[in-house]
Formats: sequence, C-alpha cells, structure tokens
Amino acid sequence: MKIVAVCACTVGIAHTYMAQEAIQKECEKRSYEYKVETQGGYGIENELDEDDIDSADVVLLAIAIGIEGDERFDKKREEGKVLSLDPAEVIADPSGAIDRVIALAQ
Amino acid sequence: MFKNFGKDLLKAFNTGVSYFIPVVVVGGVFYAFSLLGATADSTSGMVATNPFMLNLQAIGNSGLKVMIPVLAAYIAYSFGGKPALAPGFVLGYLANNMADSGITSTGFLGAMFLGVAVGYWVKWMKTWKVSKTIHTIMPILVMPILTTFVFGLLYIYILALPLGMFMNWLTVILGNLQGGSAAVLGIVIGLMTAFDMGGPVNKAASTFTMALMTTTPALYIPNGAFRVAVAIPPLACGIASFIARNKYDDADRQIGISAIFMGLIGITEGAIPFAVKDLPHTLPGIMIGSAVGACLAMVQGVECYVPHGGMIVAFATNNIGLYTLDMAIGTFVAVFILIIMKPNLKKNSDPKIAERAAA
Repeated sequence: MKIVAVCACTVGIAHTYMAQEAIQKECEKRSYEYKVETQGGYGIENELDEDDIDSADVVLLAIAIGIEGDERFDKKREEGKVLSLDPAEVIADPSGAIDRVIALAQ
Repeated sequence: MFKNFGKDLLKAFNTGVSYFIPVVVVGGVFYAFSLLGATADSTSGMVATNPFMLNLQAIGNSGLKVMIPVLAAYIAYSFGGKPALAPGFVLGYLANNMADSGITSTGFLGAMFLGVAVGYWVKWMKTWKVSKTIHTIMPILVMPILTTFVFGLLYIYILALPLGMFMNWLTVILGNLQGGSAAVLGIVIGLMTAFDMGGPVNKAASTFTMALMTTTPALYIPNGAFRVAVAIPPLACGIASFIARNKYDDADRQIGISAIFMGLIGITEGAIPFAVKDLPHTLPGIMIGSAVGACLAMVQGVECYVPHGGMIVAFATNNIGLYTLDMAIGTFVAVFILIIMKPNLKKNSDPKIAERAAA
C-alpha cells in the first residue's frame, strides 16, 4: 500500500507538521510506503511529483486551505482515490484517517 | 458549482487568512515598535515624534494597509485561481484604503464579501465559451477589467453603505466596552481559546479578534486578551506536570518541557497531549485560567498589535507589564485547578510496587 499526502493548515506552523508526523507514524506502524508533502508557512516542502502520485494507491489531503498544485491530483480524483480531511481530524485520529483513505483503494 | 458551498467557503477564508497573517505580523510589529517612547496625545492616542520611529511607523502602516488587499485577493484565489488575484487585490484596496476619496472602509468584512464574490465570478467566467482570439486576452484584459468594474461599482454604490454601517456599529460597541461587558467578552475569548486548543472554536476567536484589528479605528484590545489566553493552556500544563510530581509521570514531564516552550512562543497546541491523555481533568483548568487571563486583559485595556501570542510578542503590546502579569495570573489559576482536579497516579500501575506491597 502506498499513500501520498499533503498537509496544509491555516497558520502553517503547528497543525501542518503535526499532521505530517501523525500520518508518517501511522504508515510506519502498518509498513505502508508513504510520502507526505507539507504546505505550511514556508510553502511547499517535500513536494510530490508526478511519479510519486501516479505510483500511489491513494491520496490523503489533510488540508484546511486551498493548496498549490491542486491539479496534480485531478487524475486520482477522477478515479475516486482522493480523500480530503481537516488536519485536526488526522491529528486526533490518525488510525481512523488512514483506514478511511485506504478504503478507497478497494 | 455550488455543491460544496459551505466547505469551499470555509476553505477560501482559511486560504485568505493564511496569506494575510504574516502581513499583519509585519505591520503590527513595526507599528508596535514605533510606539515605544511615544507621547500620549489627548486627541489621537499615542503619537510617535522621533523621526526614526516615524519611519518604523511608515513601515508598519505599509503592512497594515496592504493586509486587507492580500486577504481579499487570496480568498478570491481559492475560488477562481490566478485570474482572481488582480481584481481581488485592487478591490480589497478599494474597500479599505480609499476613505480619503469618500469610499467607505469596511476592513475584514468588505474583503470577505468581495473576495468571495470576485472568486466565484472569475470561476464562472472561466467557463464562458468565447472565440479563440478573445480566449487569449481573457485573463489579462477581459477578466480583470470586467470583474473589477462589476464589483467595484457594486461595492461603491450598493455594498459599502450597509457593510460600513455594520462595521461602524461593531467598532462603536466593541471599542467602548468597559468594566462588566469587557470582562464578559474577555471570559468568552478565554474559554473559546482553551476549549479546543487551536481547533475550530479557537480559530473562530482568533479570526474574530484579528478582524477587529482591521476596523477604523482599529481595535487591539480583544486581540490582546486573546494573545494572553493562547499561552495559558500549554504553560499551565507544563508547569503543573513539574509541580505535581505524584500526578504526572516522567513522560508527562518530557512533554511538559516542550509545552512550556510552546506557551512562551504562543502555540496553544502544546496542551493537546495533556488534554488527549486526560481531558476531563485538564480542560476545566485551562479554560478557567485562560478566561481569567483574557478577562483581566480586556478590563485593563491590554492591546496586542500582532496576530501571534505568548511572551515573544510581549514587546508588541501597549503594556508589557500588564500583559505578562495577566498571563502569569491566568497560568497560576490554571495550574492551581489542574493540580486540585487531577487524581494521583495509581500506585499499583507499577508492577514492582505492587509486588512489594503484596509481600
């Protein structure tokens, strides 16, 4: 299972990175492949490129704001493989969030 | 197009605010600095006289003047993308900085309305079927000019009056809060801040207090109260974990250290691990403590000029002493309640102690 994600909260200093950590930890627990991009106060970090997204099974957008490069996920969106959640939801229940996103892979 | 309107609206506001915050920080910090050593003038409040300070104030005012255009532009951007930026910036400026030309300033509210309107309009314009030639000049001529024309006139002739009246009413009511009512607002701000430590309720309080900083005249006291409140939950949890050795374990104290730092730099989320571990015994303490701190700040008229909290912005307030004191008192109250409410750590959770007890 390969999950790619983008984390982006409003102020861009706390929740963005807390969500990134939560997703990474949960994926490590389940031995999933993962790559998590963040768009916090600094802008895009650890950017997901076309290969990253194409080779992923599902996409988790832990975002509260409109993100840069949203069109990258259009193809996966059409396939119904994209889940958008609020970063706070992901931080409060990372396991639940991951469960919900991998459900899209079936 | 209107399917997820509510969600898209929230996302748009968040996007706008996300770009807006650093601008307000810059504006507020330089403005605050310029007031150090200023003289009190009976008609216009604090007035800087030193030429260097006046230059700093010019920098600060530049930030404060450009913050609303930025907000409007990026709210519009969230709906309409790049072509929405130009009309967003221009109309945001119109709705906030053209009072000398007789255009009512409506600050945050005007930016919100115009941002959403421009954004949706541009999104719709993108779907227009036009000839190939026209399509080329759409984003550079047709879209910016038409959009700005439509919503510029809409603002000047229709929106400005009611929005302006509402903003005026808000400014008069909130700007003149004294005693009891100021205290109540402070308590509400404090409760909201600590309730979800950085979550949506906290965000509502932060947006509200930020919006009040864009009124004419700007109101900085509610923000002062809020910024006192944001530091209290993490500071209190961290300090409590060190004082009450029999109620918090070593893991708690590890988190407590970072919580104290987070409180000092104004990140309420530092209290989240404590709340997650033991919500019923943590929430009352931090809520009451924040309420106390914010209430004091409201009543004493503590102003904060930046949209950030904790001790690192103490210099950007109108009274470092009171700001610090209110934060300290609020923290003290919160620590007290936290320690009283929290049960002692269970003695038999450590197997070695249980063995010895059984022997």
